Amino acid sequence: MARRAQIIPPRADLKKKAVNLTTGFDLRLTPETIRKLEEVVHRSRDAFTTDIADRLMVMRRLVAETGPLPADQKALVAHVYGSSLEIKGGGGTIGYDLLTLIGKSLNDFVSGLSRLDERQVKVVCLHIDALYVVLANRITGRGGVVESAIIEAFGEAKRKFRADGDDREDIGDARDA
Amino acid sequence: MPEKIDFSKVSFLIVDENPLSGKLIHDILSMLGATAVRTATSVERARKLLRRDPVDVIITEYHLQPENGLALIDWIRNAPDSADRMIPIIMLTANSEEDYVIRARDMGVSEFLAKPFNVEGLYRRLVAVIARPRAFVNADGYFGPDRRRRQVSFGGPERRDDER
Repeated sequence: MARRAQIIPPRADLKKKAVNLTTGFDLRLTPETIRKLEEVVHRSRDAFTTDIADRLMVMRRLVAETGPLPADQKALVAHVYGSSLEIKGGGGTIGYDLLTLIGKSLNDFVSGLSRLDERQVKVVCLHIDALYVVLANRITGRGGVVESAIIEAFGEAKRKFRADGDDREDIGDARDA
Repeated sequence: MPEKIDFSKVSFLIVDENPLSGKLIHDILSMLGATAVRTATSVERARKLLRRDPVDVIITEYHLQPENGLALIDWIRNAPDSADRMIPIIMLTANSEEDYVIRARDMGVSEFLAKPFNVEGLYRRLVAVIARPRAFVNADGYFGPDRRRRQVSFGGPERRDDER
C-alpha cells in the first residue's frame, strides 16, 4: 500500500540569510538593473558568435569527412545534436533569434537518429549553410518573410526525410541518458 | 519598504559543459553581487565540488555528458551521500520541450528556464528559490519541491474520511 506523502515545510535558512530590507536588489527588477544585466549579456555576444562559427566549421568538416561505419555515424549525429542544441540555446540569448530557430530545426532533425543517409546529410548541410548566412550577415531578431519561409522549408524537409528515422536507436537525444 | 536579496550572501554552483554559457551565468550573478560562484562542466565534477563544499543554489544544464542533468538532480534529492537533499536547483537548458520539463519536474527540480533565456527570466527563478521557497514532498518514488503550483479550491463535498 502506498504510504501517505510527507509535506516538509519550506526551508527558511537561505531566505533568512539573503533577504532583507536594506541591501541588495529588489525582488522586482528595476529598469536600470535590467539594463545593466542586459549589458552583461551583450558583452558576451562576440564570444558567442565566434563559438557558433567554430561549431559550424567543425560540423561542416565532420559531415564531409565521416565515413559509413556505424560508430563514426553515431559520433557524427551526437556531435551535430550537441552543437545544434548549443546554437539553439545561445543564439536567442544574444539576440540572434533566427540562429535559435534554425538551430532548433537542425536539433529536431537529428534527434533520435543514429546515422545520416545521403539525403539527410544534404538537409544537415543546408541548415549549416543557413546558420552561416545568419552569422555572416549579422541577422539579429527573427528575420523577415524570407527567413520564415526558410524555417518552414526546413520543417517540411524534416517531415519528408525523417519519416523513417524515428524507429532507430536514440543517439542524438539526451532524453534516454 | 520592499524586500531585497543580498546575493553576496548566496553561494552558487553552475553546471554547464559549455564554458561560454557557464561564464555568462557567472557574469550575471557577479553583476548581482554574488561572490561565491563555482562552475563545473560535468555531473561527476559537480558531485565532487558539492561533497567538499555545499552551496545554496545550483543552476544546471540538462544536456551534460556522460551523465545528464537529471542524474545530478537524482543524486541530490535521493542519494544517501547527497550533500543536501533540499538544495534549490534551477534547470537552465535548451532541452526545453515539454517532456524534458516534465522529467526534470518529476526528478525534483525547483525551477525550469528554457534557453535562450533573458535576464528577467533568470532573475525571477532566483527570486523564487531564494525568497519564496516551496514546501518539499516526500512520497513514494518522489522527493522534491511540491509540484502543485496553484491551489485550486474544491467546491464539492469532502468524501475522504479524514477530511469530513
